[in-house]
Amino acid sequence: MSGGGNTVTAVGGGGCGGGSSSGGGGSSGGGGGGPCGACKFLRRKCVPGCIFAPYFDSEQGSAYFAAVHKVFGASNVSKLLLHIPVHRRADAVVTICYEAQARIRDPIYGCVAHIFALQQQVVNLQAEVSYLQAHLASLELPQPQTRPPPLTQPQPLFFTPPPPLSLTDLPASVSPYDLASIVDPSTSWATQQRRFVDPRNQYGGSSSSSAAVGLGGGNSDLQALAHELLHRQGSPPPAATDGSPSRSMSR
Amino acid sequence: MNPKRCAACRYLRRRCPKDCVFSPYFPPNNPEKFACVHRIYGAGNVSKMLQQLPVQTRAEVVESLCFEATCRIEDPVYGCVGIISLLQTQIQKTENLLARTQAEIAVAQTKHSQNQHSEFM
Repeated sequence: MSGGGNTVTAVGGGGCGGGSSSGGGGSSGGGGGGPCGACKFLRRKCVPGCIFAPYFDSEQGSAYFAAVHKVFGASNVSKLLLHIPVHRRADAVVTICYEAQARIRDPIYGCVAHIFALQQQVVNLQAEVSYLQAHLASLELPQPQTRPPPLTQPQPLFFTPPPPLSLTDLPASVSPYDLASIVDPSTSWATQQRRFVDPRNQYGGSSSSSAAVGLGGGNSDLQALAHELLHRQGSPPPAATDGSPSRSMSR
Repeated sequence: MNPKRCAACRYLRRRCPKDCVFSPYFPPNNPEKFACVHRIYGAGNVSKMLQQLPVQTRAEVVESLCFEATCRIEDPVYGCVGIISLLQTQIQKTENLLARTQAEIAVAQTKHSQNQHSEFM
């Protein structure tokens, strides 16, 4: 805990989690602990009440902030955070870091590539389910010489794939998301690589990032982020006391 | 200078040069698209991103940036990660359904073969 306050380091430090309740950035910043990662990167004085201080520690926070600043810009992130309640800012910082790093790795699609891959996986699974349900229906059809057909129509078994997700499917209200499983590339990305056809192939261009599929080789930063989140999951959810639905980071 | 400014230059209240990096992707008839992207990323960052990439990829970049920006505006805390979570939940449910269906097929196949066996008896 730097600066004598309950500093929450959502990224870049030993996540002590839960503590966005450190309150409106009222924790360290410019105190005895030195500048936060963001102010260190920006080479500016870290004032008490620095909005970034609770989330970017002075050790590894600079690296994470560098990505965020490159993609979003410090002032834009600051404005974003100001419009978010204090107890939700840690999650916001994590997702912003995730998007920033995904964009750096894949400058064309960013984390949308991950969404494409997951959508493709959903489509493939649904096709598989439809096929198997058709097969099941054929197995369950009664034999003509053994028994009469059932009087009631069997329930439709065919699985109608829902339309692909669009912006209208965005959650209307915030739900607790298991951020660790999302930002941990080892869980789902690797399985997406075989199925996802990178649309960029049509351009014939090569990218330094390994793509949509993108987190292949250089995903150590995202893994570190996931590791950070996993440490945070051990902490009690910050919003548990405010009567709102549980917003813990893990489901 | 373009006689008709692109949405970006109109928003930024500046002249729209002929080689404006934004104009192919932010037509004047859709000002909200640029407003959305500018609000989250900033015009300068978007301009830098586009200039660093080959021209043939820029349309895709703009679309993905618009999508992410819209997600972030709709859900300031989770942004795109919210959609990723929804998809992962959907995948899990579908995998469960798949497993159940496979089990049902196994049961049905067993019953089917038992029926066939009993017919021969």
